[in-house]
Amino acid sequence: MTDTAISARQLGHAYGDVIALHHLDLEVPPGRIGLVGANGAGKTTLIKILLGILEPTVGSVGVLGVDPATDLIKVRDRIGYMPEGDCLPLGQSAADFVSYAAEMAGIPPREARQRASDILTMVGLHEERFRYLGDFSTGMKQRTMLAQAIVHDPEIVFLDEPTAGLDPAGREEMLELISRLGGFGINVLVSSHVLPDIEKTCDWVVMLDGGQVLRNGPLSGLTETNVVEIEVVDDVAAVVAELTRLGGAVESQGNVLTLTVQDRDPFIMARDALATTGAPLRRLGARSTTLEDIFLGEAPHDE
Amino acid sequence: MSDRSGAVFDLGYKPYEGTRLGRSGAIRTILKDGVRRVLGIRRKARKKIYPWSMVALAILPAAVFVGLAFTLNAFSPDTESPFGGHAEYIALTGAIVMLFVALAGPELLIPDREEGVLAVYSSRPMTAWDYIAARAGALSAVLAGFFLVPNLLMYFGFAALDSRGLGSALLGNLDDLLNVVLAMIAYIVGYGAPALLVSTYAKRTGVAAGTYLAIMFGSVAFGEAFQQIDFTGARFGTLLSLLQHPEVVRDWVFDKNPTSAPTAAGFEPWTSAVVIGVVAVVTAYLMHRRYRSEL
Repeated sequence: MTDTAISARQLGHAYGDVIALHHLDLEVPPGRIGLVGANGAGKTTLIKILLGILEPTVGSVGVLGVDPATDLIKVRDRIGYMPEGDCLPLGQSAADFVSYAAEMAGIPPREARQRASDILTMVGLHEERFRYLGDFSTGMKQRTMLAQAIVHDPEIVFLDEPTAGLDPAGREEMLELISRLGGFGINVLVSSHVLPDIEKTCDWVVMLDGGQVLRNGPLSGLTETNVVEIEVVDDVAAVVAELTRLGGAVESQGNVLTLTVQDRDPFIMARDALATTGAPLRRLGARSTTLEDIFLGEAPHDE
Repeated sequence: MSDRSGAVFDLGYKPYEGTRLGRSGAIRTILKDGVRRVLGIRRKARKKIYPWSMVALAILPAAVFVGLAFTLNAFSPDTESPFGGHAEYIALTGAIVMLFVALAGPELLIPDREEGVLAVYSSRPMTAWDYIAARAGALSAVLAGFFLVPNLLMYFGFAALDSRGLGSALLGNLDDLLNVVLAMIAYIVGYGAPALLVSTYAKRTGVAAGTYLAIMFGSVAFGEAFQQIDFTGARFGTLLSLLQHPEVVRDWVFDKNPTSAPTAAGFEPWTSAVVIGVVAVVTAYLMHRRYRSEL
């Protein structure tokens, strides 16, 4: 097993004059990986390069340590893919198609049929598995697409906008299924522009904007902040003065103070200031940051 | 693969630890699916009507010929068969095959593209060439059945009635079988390649089928028009007659007198074989160019 699920070295790709990816460098460990960015950020281009459909204009990528540009079959032997758009033959039953998808991955026919049945049951389509895909709802189609992506037990599966077009209930169910994949030993790369979906399902995030990497790191590290909110009953001015003296940056709004500290634990500083001033405390807590906050804060925007 | 030893798995999911057949398994699967698809197997009932009608049209006459020969007990290898020989039967099968291919070619390629299924193929151990080879192989296998089943029926049926005895007749007519195979290859490639090429670019099966038939019949009109035109080099225009090249090869291998436009324009029969080969190579190149961007 490799320590790196996905890697990129100076990766670039252009469609004619349009640059889709610009000198990307990535090292992503195994696990549940979120690939986020606005439409046109380069997510799908990156996935297509990882699949070996597109070749990099410059640089190289690795999937589980293998470069698809030089060893395509070895990469495709180990991956699954759920594309953004439709990928289902409407004139076939779900059981036939998922079984076919398993056989295409090299699983013998009898085992393929059994696995198709098991996986369709797992995604909640046991009763419907012999119905034609053309008769399926959007949610059922998405589940079938997920089933074909994992039926052959891949080591890593790429999910491109897996919740697109789903109603809120269907979306929650899909996210629940994706969250469970890690427990099956399948690494997951989820591409989405819906940031809360990534927050719910992933433990690592790669944030793209304009073909460049904005952030690449564990989700917990990205959303943890060095900012705390302190609400005191009175003596606000004394607390602000003490926090400032200790080196913190303080903003106040009524009795609520927002403390930002670099290179130190803000909770320790808040405790010390409250102890020194003796100000009665009503509330103390971390101010959580969402992926959306990070994205909006860091992505360059048109004026 | 992830280390899964000692883990407790979700009851609905089991890791697969059995045999994996790899790239060759993927190609075989696509080929098998192609055969099923063009014959409408595991598809809705309406998808079965056209292909099986064509199969019946191709095979039933041979079965009737052989049956009549047995019933009438009048067949003699010393005289021409009253029902026509292999060359005549291949001419009949060729026409049926062209009508079959008009829909089978589009059915093999267009749904995969238009329904987005190619995305699934791109995550399986295969390349664009593998996909093209498997789809072309599936079409060829079914078309081979169109030619071989009735001709083998006639070969064995008439041999059984032969006054020389079954074994002697089978050995004595072995050349016929070889000629059937050669003519069959010419028809499969000559009619199949243009159908696959049209289907590589068309978006709807009906449009592709109509375009294919228009090209094939139109090519004969072009070829014969060039045959009538009197200027230097006009005879090369007869080579556009795509529909007639397999017929030329068939007449060539069965030692008959070809009557098609390329022959009338003075081209040797091997020229038609070369044209068929060139069309096949161009088709393969263009198909790969088209599919490489999606597989």
